[in-house]
Amino acid sequence: MTESITIRGKLRYQLAVNVAGRLTLAFRRRRNERKTARPGWSRDVLAPPLKLSARMKELMSRHYLGGRYANGAKKVAWVTSGAPIEILKALGFYILYPENHAALCGARRKTVEIASEAENAGYSRDICSYARTDIGAVLSGKTPVGRLPRPDVLLACTNICQTVLYWYRVLADYFKVPLILIDTPFIYEEAHAHDVAYVKRQLEDMIPAAEKIAGKKLSFKRLKEVVRFSREASFLWLEVLDRAKHRPSPITAFDGFIHMAPIVDLRGEPVVIDLYRQLLKEIDVRISKGIGAVKHEKKRLLWDNLPIWFKLRKMAQTFAGYGANVVAATYTYAWGELAPMMDETRPLESAAQTYLHPLLNQGTGHKLESMQKMVREFSLDGVVLHSDRSCKPYSLGQIDQRDYFVNHAGIPALLLEADHNDPRSYSDQQAENRIAAFMEILEDSSNAD
Amino acid sequence: MIDLPSRKKVIREFQKKGGKIAAVLPIRYPRELFRAFGFLPVEVWGPPHADVTLGGSHLQSYTCDIVRNAVSFLLSGGLDRTDLILVPHTCDSLQGMGSVLLDFVHPKQKVLTLYHPRGVRKADFDFLTEELKRLCGELSDWTGGEPPPGAFWEAIYREETADRALARLYRDRELLGLSDREFYRIVRSREFLPAEDFIENEKKLARREKRSTSGVPILLSGIVPEPMDLFDEIETMGARVVADDLACGTRRLYKSGHSEDPFVRMAERLFSAPPDPTRGSPISERADHLKNLIRKSGAKGVLIYDVKFCEPELFDVPLLRKKLEAEGTPVNYVEFEMGKILSQQTLTRIEAFIEMIG
Amino acid sequence: MKALAALGIDVGSSTCKIVGVDESGELIWHLLEQADPRAEDQVQRFLKAAEQKFGPLKAVPFVATGYGRKLVKDAAKNITEISCHAKGVYHELQKPGTLVDIGGQDSKVIVIGAGGRVVDFAMNDKCAAGTGRFLENTAGRLHVPLEALGKTALSADREETISSTCTVFAESEIISLVAHGVAVEPILKGLHRSLVSRIVAMIRSVGLVSPLMLSGGVARNEAMRKLLEEETGEKVHLPQYPQLMGAYGAALIGLKNG
Repeated sequence: MTESITIRGKLRYQLAVNVAGRLTLAFRRRRNERKTARPGWSRDVLAPPLKLSARMKELMSRHYLGGRYANGAKKVAWVTSGAPIEILKALGFYILYPENHAALCGARRKTVEIASEAENAGYSRDICSYARTDIGAVLSGKTPVGRLPRPDVLLACTNICQTVLYWYRVLADYFKVPLILIDTPFIYEEAHAHDVAYVKRQLEDMIPAAEKIAGKKLSFKRLKEVVRFSREASFLWLEVLDRAKHRPSPITAFDGFIHMAPIVDLRGEPVVIDLYRQLLKEIDVRISKGIGAVKHEKKRLLWDNLPIWFKLRKMAQTFAGYGANVVAATYTYAWGELAPMMDETRPLESAAQTYLHPLLNQGTGHKLESMQKMVREFSLDGVVLHSDRSCKPYSLGQIDQRDYFVNHAGIPALLLEADHNDPRSYSDQQAENRIAAFMEILEDSSNAD
Repeated sequence: MIDLPSRKKVIREFQKKGGKIAAVLPIRYPRELFRAFGFLPVEVWGPPHADVTLGGSHLQSYTCDIVRNAVSFLLSGGLDRTDLILVPHTCDSLQGMGSVLLDFVHPKQKVLTLYHPRGVRKADFDFLTEELKRLCGELSDWTGGEPPPGAFWEAIYREETADRALARLYRDRELLGLSDREFYRIVRSREFLPAEDFIENEKKLARREKRSTSGVPILLSGIVPEPMDLFDEIETMGARVVADDLACGTRRLYKSGHSEDPFVRMAERLFSAPPDPTRGSPISERADHLKNLIRKSGAKGVLIYDVKFCEPELFDVPLLRKKLEAEGTPVNYVEFEMGKILSQQTLTRIEAFIEMIG
Repeated sequence: MKALAALGIDVGSSTCKIVGVDESGELIWHLLEQADPRAEDQVQRFLKAAEQKFGPLKAVPFVATGYGRKLVKDAAKNITEISCHAKGVYHELQKPGTLVDIGGQDSKVIVIGAGGRVVDFAMNDKCAAGTGRFLENTAGRLHVPLEALGKTALSADREETISSTCTVFAESEIISLVAHGVAVEPILKGLHRSLVSRIVAMIRSVGLVSPLMLSGGVARNEAMRKLLEEETGEKVHLPQYPQLMGAYGAALIGLKNG
């Protein structure tokens, strides 16, 4: 069923992506960089958008353009966001992240149209909206990025949820390609030796399977290089996010949501390192000039869970309108906090540890501790917990976590009911009302101090 | 007819003899391990009679009722007579439940978890063996000692015998002269009866003439058929269940193991179960398994009856439907919320389906 | 007057209907009332009316359908409205196809095969605002009489998007639009569109077999018809008494079995 790599395919890829695509996208970027205003961006409460986002957009557009021409030029893997991609990257696979693609559909407000295709085929509205978006795109070919490449292999890692396993089984059946599973036992309290050994063994077993599909041998030298790039990019990403500790914060969590795409989709590539270095520079200029991302930063908040992709700007503006900056998010942090675990000298063992320990693969108490730590380190005044109908692993536990903040730590916390990708499970009116009430509580609590 | 005691009565009697009780959430776990330590596993499949607002104070409304009701039941004192709670990591909702119990609810009972791997590779098998050893270790630490020598093997053989008795019940279901409701009451008594009692009951059931074949034969798939009135309703509608693919039914028909290592043997047994989405079985494997059940039982349609928000089940429905309908077997999916009564909407859907295939 | 050969009753969540047919299956008599919370009394009243018209009903086959079908103790049989609508519409339009029935509590899409047999069907999600009741409630909230709902919606020259399908969310969207001074017409049109798109999803899930037919009380709403045609590109066929199709089908089933 899968397409073999041909000289023609490679040539087409070179021409379309590296020649024509590179030029067009660079031109578009330069045009974007000159733009200082964006439609709907309220300059009275928010600082102008980060300049680097044009560069980031170019990078991601090139990634998706590459996908469009990947079949025939490269072997293609579809992977879950928490999957150990270093081995595939070292083998030269083009890597597509359906979750990121779904988020992109969400941000461009295409979800309802695309997810409906899956719903019409019988996929219930009660399943994750990322999965519905992806399955809808597969069934209908609809996508805002032109075309998604057909996978030669699927890689699902259960360290973010079990949903991906159910979802990738559907893809495996549809595409008739192998599904490689990396099963990562959930860590309720702490990881056991046999958990780590199990993940490591699956990574070892994955190598020959991936080699067979790639048609070549894995070079450990290359693998180490990829791990080094991944690690460095993750550290830089963490640095970017940590800049939000400044008062006023030069960035918002919403900037984080927008700029996280490369660390998810392109980690392991040197270009990400370069991008985040530049991002740091831009942020540091803001800090030196005392520019805050929210113009009159009075309150600093934490966001828990995935963003509401189809309401990113609206959320940023609503909070900024109250002088509140959502400066940090557990979600964006999750892509940096494991950086210290990566070790190129022991690529498989360290990968086993790294991929076992994402926030989502650890207990609800651990998440509360992480949030408390962020509240301290980022000097936060309140917590917004997005209760995401489409993400149970992230959301279950939030009722108790909120209860802890409100009743034990004296920190106002809001449980905001929504969905990360499906606007039909969200109401502006209701959300605005709740946020307004929450902001009143925040005001009161600071007056009481 | 067999006189089945209630869960309450079974618990009381087991405790009278000095035994302890383990409350166990769905779906898979090693019964024999708990019995070896002197615990009777009594399963909790979302009791429908608890005040559900209690569970709502910990879990959002989009959590499935099996989990929300179980938490409600625990908080309303329904599990007060149990000594420990085992929450297998079956799905994201049970993951959330286990974690919230450990980190926030802190029930008086000891809370244990078990991770069943999602594949059937050698690595998965070896992991499961190690995971069972870990569970055993935690039980020894907590109870203050290993079971007496021989207790392990005694428990393993007993559970294997009980599983063979269960398989015989399924094989002979048409000869037992039981209504569907009676049949499933007996099958589901495996959820709380000591294996020795289950074995005795099976022996008592006489085999008779094949039951008259008046109703429309259907295959019932899903996690759990609650409330049990469902079976009466299906009968009134003119149908009968001739085979099942229920998580509390044939998806737990475990075979006997071979190994002489008790942990390997328990893992062999858990691995021998039919395909199930929560174990990561490929959808095509599930479809083939269902086709096989349809062929053997003569079912004319498949009713997938599931509790709302059950993601592992929901993902498979469209492809199962496509694959089975391609071979001429209509499939209908009906969801329900776990309450005391069946909703009219649910019943109408089932009835229309039976009219359609009848 | 033609002789009564069978009776069918449809005890629905919004209305209660009874239909009488003659030997040839022709609809010769009917009654329709808002549903009485005491359904049993209403059924008795209906039967009495039939008796007054046709004389003793002892030998007349009587079949019940609808949500309250089990409350009809006198019925020889009770059959779901899915089978009955299929039977009734098939008998009247004389062809297989896809039937959309938008009822008070449930919406259904039924694929009808030869002889009026149900080949497949789909019903709305519980949480989706895909039912007649939802339209009724909104009509009340916007002070538009139910009969004028479709016409008012069609008179709009633009439409507002109502994206939520959860009833509570959709209501809050509508309230918010009204609060922002949006006129009633575009809101209503958007609301109809959202309902129709739910129906179209159900149609796709079972697969459309032409022609497309519509029954149930909502069939009288011209906006539903028009938008359904727009969204599917199919002409919508209507039986003469869309609301009576359940009861009619029930009577036909009685006729066949009686």
